[in-house]
Amino acid sequence: MIDIKKEIQKDRRAFIKNVLSGTIAGSLLMVIPAGAALDERLPEQLPGMRGDDSPFTEKKFAFVVDVTACIGCGSCCVADKNEYNVPDGNYRTWVERYIIDDHDEVFVDSPNGGLDGYSKPRTDIPNPVRDTFFVPKLCNMCEKPSCVQVCPVGATYKTEDGFILVDKDRCVGCGYCIQACPYSVRFLNPVNRTAEKCTWCYHRVREGLLPACVNVCPVHARKFGDLNDKTSEVYKILREPHVISVLKPGMGNQPALHYLGLRREVV
Amino acid sequence: MEKKYKSSYYGHVVKIALVLIIGGVLAVMARDKFLPETMGQYGHYRGSDLKDQRQVAVRSHTNESCYQCHRPIRLIHKAGVHKTVSCEFCHGPFADHVKDGKYVAKLPVKRDMEIKTLCLRCHNKIIRARPEESIKVVAMPQHLEEKKVNIDHNCNQCHMVHDPILWIKAAREMMGLKMKGETK
Repeated sequence: MIDIKKEIQKDRRAFIKNVLSGTIAGSLLMVIPAGAALDERLPEQLPGMRGDDSPFTEKKFAFVVDVTACIGCGSCCVADKNEYNVPDGNYRTWVERYIIDDHDEVFVDSPNGGLDGYSKPRTDIPNPVRDTFFVPKLCNMCEKPSCVQVCPVGATYKTEDGFILVDKDRCVGCGYCIQACPYSVRFLNPVNRTAEKCTWCYHRVREGLLPACVNVCPVHARKFGDLNDKTSEVYKILREPHVISVLKPGMGNQPALHYLGLRREVV
Repeated sequence: MEKKYKSSYYGHVVKIALVLIIGGVLAVMARDKFLPETMGQYGHYRGSDLKDQRQVAVRSHTNESCYQCHRPIRLIHKAGVHKTVSCEFCHGPFADHVKDGKYVAKLPVKRDMEIKTLCLRCHNKIIRARPEESIKVVAMPQHLEEKKVNIDHNCNQCHMVHDPILWIKAAREMMGLKMKGETK
């Protein structure tokens, strides 16, 4: 008799527990907003990427920087710092200013990586200036990346769709890749002591969004797209006759980052 | 008869073999324990990192995200020549303002000299390499002198920052003036 009573008591307790937790959880779900879906807030900029859960996409991404269009405003650098909270003094992307005087001498500077823009002219140039232009720099996403080759722990790798990424958990911070990169795009994050670099905003691209820097560029100097898509802008640029070059072609890394109207002083 | 010096005692060989085998087994076990599970799934890297890489929060949004709430400014900003300028460039990242669809904090408003600094980041003529066809550049303070206004005027006293010639166009219309090069 007592046993049965106990059993009922136990059941009752369990029942009340279930009901209570259910109602509390339910009401909490109603109070805490699940957040508007990404689709609603952010229209898809790269078609067919959202909702694709496969490890690799079928696309072949390319990045084109139009040197003749860049005005050196530094929007891209600001967007990049905002997106990743990059520690001060390190840059995932930066903008260099090239000044060529009439003696063919080249002056390059990049105060704070172009993060504060270029507000002052250079005063230390002895001869009249012949030409000035800006060159944005970022990860070249090489076809044959030197950084991947030297990583001793397999922390840096190349995905089948062409992204070179760094595994924060695997990286031991030895710095081999930082030395190996011919373009100096890598740095050791002073906070977590791992190698870090531009990822062409892999997380954004997989959500169908353009990289943060491409998205903000006011003069459309940065272009990003799929080379397998015959209608994309980058495909047309790389297909049609233009002055297109990559940085340090002699290194044999075969970058997927192309420059439009690049001057020989930069290469 | 030749004497055989060959020993029939193999204990030391067995010991070495045992040590090697046990060592090998331990090494394999240790490797399994310390290597991540998905290591080598697609190549010489941790396969599950592809998923982790996608977990990075999207902090910068597009202008469209801002326009969802800021309707009046959308009409002005989208109609003007500044339509390609990102809201977040001047105002700060979306994620600092809205989180999970909820307002979290106010973004700092730019005032006075901050506005002038922002304007001159792009429109400063002294910095060359800014083609006239893509952007209008001015020299300061010559521009103010030329327009016959006080030298300490701020850009936003004449120019609506979201559509720089909006007020100027309105003023010209009111006064019945024509733009330079425009004929009746």
